[in-house]
Amino acid sequence: MKNSLRVQRAIMNITQAELAEKIQVSRQTINTIESGKYVPSTVLALKMARVFGVPVGEIFSLEEGD
Amino acid sequence: MENSLLISGRYKVIGWIIVILSACLGIATLYWGFKIPGFALPIKESPFSFADYNLTNEFAFGGLVIGLMMIVFAKEKIEDEYISLLRLKCLQWSVLISFGILIILNFVFYGTALFIFLFYNMFTVPLIFIIKFNFSLYLLRREREIDEK
Repeated sequence: MKNSLRVQRAIMNITQAELAEKIQVSRQTINTIESGKYVPSTVLALKMARVFGVPVGEIFSLEEGD
Repeated sequence: MENSLLISGRYKVIGWIIVILSACLGIATLYWGFKIPGFALPIKESPFSFADYNLTNEFAFGGLVIGLMMIVFAKEKIEDEYISLLRLKCLQWSVLISFGILIILNFVFYGTALFIFLFYNMFTVPLIFIIKFNFSLYLLRREREIDEK
């Protein structure tokens, strides 16, 4: 699965730390999600989508082989 | 998702203090036969009894187990779902290593020696969990710092 978290953050101009604080997770967790090492739960994905004001599908999308 | 088994983060410090004190007491009683004077069951020791009524070693062992459990189950500052996953992974590792050691001990030792090493091996699950979990957290933090630069 790939994600456009970095792009979305750039559009909103917020840092990893600010995003982490908004959805109440650690900065490390945001980092692992951004680097594609960890796939977040649906709850977390929805929270991120709410922060960015976009549908979840715009942040996370399936890759070939998923 | 609340993990109801976890306890407040400040127990980590308390746990470490209890572990260090109990470990010192344990070593003192195991290798030098130290006993807390008067800290015994109220049973009169007779020359025919082989049992040890002093509670020093039981006290040290209990303290060590309780202290280690406190460290293992203490919450991190931000306890999110990724930390939960990390906990699970580290627990799987520690159980695997502990049983791996068990298999090796089974073939290498027998009798009293096996019994003694089995006793020590009981502590590998919490110990390896603590080492692996904290090392994973350290790596995560370092990775993030590199990434931020």
